[in-house]
Amino acid sequence: MATVRALFAILLLGIAGLAEGQRTEATEASLKAAYLFKFAGYIEWSAADFESPAAPIAIGVVGAEDIAAELTRIVAGRNIAGHPVVVKRLSADDAARGLQMLFVGRDTPRAGAVARAAQSQGVLVVTDMERGLEMGGAINFVSLGERLGFEVSLESAERSGHRISSRMLSVARRVVPKAGA
Amino acid sequence: MFEAIRHSVRGKAILLVLASTVSALALSALGLVLYDLRAYERQWTTDLTTQAEILARASAPALSFDDRATAAKDLALLKVRPFMLAGALYTRSGDLFATYAKPGFEPSFPPRPGPEGYAIQGDQLSVFHRVAEEGETIGTVYLVAYYRPWSRLLDYLTIIGLVMIASLAVTALFSGWLQSAITMPILEVARVAREVMSQRDYSLRARKTTDDEIGELVDSFNAMLAESGRRAQELRDADQRKDEFLATLAHELRNPLAPLRNALEILRMKNVDPASGEKARQMMQRQLAQMVRLVDDLLDVSRITTGKLAVRREPLALQAAVQDAIETVRPLMESRRHELDVSLPAEPLMVLGDRTRLAQVFSNLLNNAAKYTESGGRVWLSLEAQGGEAVLRVRDSGIGLDPHALSTIFDMFVQVDRSLERTQAGLGVGLTLAKRLVTLHGGTIAGRSDGGGLGSEFEVRLPLATAAVAGEGAQAPEAAAAVAARRLRILVADDNVDAATSFAALLAARGHEVRVAHDGAQALAIARSFEPDVAFLDIGMPRVQGYEVARRMREEEATRRTLLVALTGWGRDDDRQRASEAGFDRHLVKPPDPEEIDRILEGAAARTAPA
Repeated sequence: MATVRALFAILLLGIAGLAEGQRTEATEASLKAAYLFKFAGYIEWSAADFESPAAPIAIGVVGAEDIAAELTRIVAGRNIAGHPVVVKRLSADDAARGLQMLFVGRDTPRAGAVARAAQSQGVLVVTDMERGLEMGGAINFVSLGERLGFEVSLESAERSGHRISSRMLSVARRVVPKAGA
Repeated sequence: MFEAIRHSVRGKAILLVLASTVSALALSALGLVLYDLRAYERQWTTDLTTQAEILARASAPALSFDDRATAAKDLALLKVRPFMLAGALYTRSGDLFATYAKPGFEPSFPPRPGPEGYAIQGDQLSVFHRVAEEGETIGTVYLVAYYRPWSRLLDYLTIIGLVMIASLAVTALFSGWLQSAITMPILEVARVAREVMSQRDYSLRARKTTDDEIGELVDSFNAMLAESGRRAQELRDADQRKDEFLATLAHELRNPLAPLRNALEILRMKNVDPASGEKARQMMQRQLAQMVRLVDDLLDVSRITTGKLAVRREPLALQAAVQDAIETVRPLMESRRHELDVSLPAEPLMVLGDRTRLAQVFSNLLNNAAKYTESGGRVWLSLEAQGGEAVLRVRDSGIGLDPHALSTIFDMFVQVDRSLERTQAGLGVGLTLAKRLVTLHGGTIAGRSDGGGLGSEFEVRLPLATAAVAGEGAQAPEAAAAVAARRLRILVADDNVDAATSFAALLAARGHEVRVAHDGAQALAIARSFEPDVAFLDIGMPRVQGYEVARRMREEEATRRTLLVALTGWGRDDDRQRASEAGFDRHLVKPPDPEEIDRILEGAAARTAPA
């Protein structure tokens, strides 16, 4: 769907001009980066997630260079629940150890395996692809026409040992309940 | 209604309760309303701010993730609060994000959010509230609610009105109790007071129902009624006694007139035998003496009631006064065939007093003893010295006194036995007069009786004079006796020709040289040439009054030393005072007592006797 939208956007851009099209891409990336940062705010972090109380929330980004750049800009100097936030650019082969959150971008090879591996290491995974939640993502971006939306899997979040604020669920497009529920 | 309140204690009491109830309610209501209006505003602003905060928290994710539909759904929850009119969410950049309006309300949302806080406009309360996440402002909540303190005020007034009506009902009940507990006893007193005034019945009493101050009031009121009743009765009694006295007086004064007229007729007869003439003259003398005594009593009554009874204080042997009294009552004693037992001490008992008045006291006692004893009874009189006092007792074997009578016998116009023949009764003032006179002498008088039929005893105690005074007094009678027979020049002046001529004849019969004048000028003319030793002057004479004659005689050398005696119809003390000021030596009330005249003439003879 995102491809369709992107194609549609490219068609539009074709009419309006290339420069415009680049700006739209940049806007989508920055929006996703902003959402990623906000997601971190709705995760109910526990002391067990950190080595020390002053340890930062480390967000890894795989396969989305533009988003990683935007996110790095956004988190500069900001705290969530008393923790500073840092962004780590990773490749698909890098281990997810030491991360609190991992964004698996659309361009990541073997995205499903990366996501599952991170999930099994207790990292909250955010995906940006079709069936992202089924591949181990706790949160997955979805496109809603003009707007950017997301869906949440409480089951995946639980597997990585996380709880997501119910407030965020009210604006999620779809919520996959916990396994036992 | 207001008339009733002004004129009735009950109305005033109810008004008092009503006024305090209403004013207390009004004041507390005012305070409550002011407090509540303030609390209302605070409560509503707090409430709306809280609402905005809740909404901000709830819609923060919608704002964060740009979800207008969820935001609109969150806002729509406001419809469960009926006072909420409208709500809106603004994005961080100030654009309108989502809105809600109560059905039927046409909202006008500000295009941009205002500063945080609340504002009241008309009947609407609005608030702007920041939406923050992780300390960052991500938007603004805007809420509008009804703000209607006036409808609340109206509710309050309704409640206060109801409470007031209830209070007034309670007040009515309360005043009912008040009436029975407080005003009823007072009304009872007022009712009894009215009845007493309209019926003149002092035996009525107010009923006492409580033991509080009002009970005391009722008691005092009843006590006052009793006192008033007692006094009214006393006044009635006194009035009755006075009426009886007047009736007695008229009777007594009329009694001697018939024998006098009869005797006069006898004397006018040409060939009346000397024995009958003598009898008639004696009868006239007795009846006249009785009339003089009555009129004297009457004058004394006047002096007692006006408080002008006075006595002279001269050294005096009491035996002389007792002898005078015995002489006065002897005819009565003899006519009733009483036996009089007199016991006097040999030594003279000297007192400071008025011989005539003390004789009057004793003769009154003897007179009563004679009157109230059956014919042929016994009367005892004893005089003795006891300590510093002279004690005189008059006892009889008569009808006695019952204990009740003893307490009243000294009251004016009281007579022990009204069934007595009127010729003996007198005016009922004898003992009253006796008591006053004895009191004026510094003494006491008391009555005693063993009861009806057992006789009675009266005791007079008088303080004895000191020895020095007594010695001086004892000499006087002897000196007077030595010069009794001296021939005097006497002037008699009276515009009543009969009175003047008869009096002059009486004096001439005693061997004195007498001249008569019928007016003041004539009296002065005669006095200048005649140089009298004694002048009897009537006060009410034509041309020159007696007072003036006396004054002029005192100014002239020839009559300066003349003994001046005033003769008047009135014996009041101010008359005596006036006579004394004019220069009179003595003052006699018509008709003059022959014995008094004799004493005066004796005194004048002693004065003019060659040294």
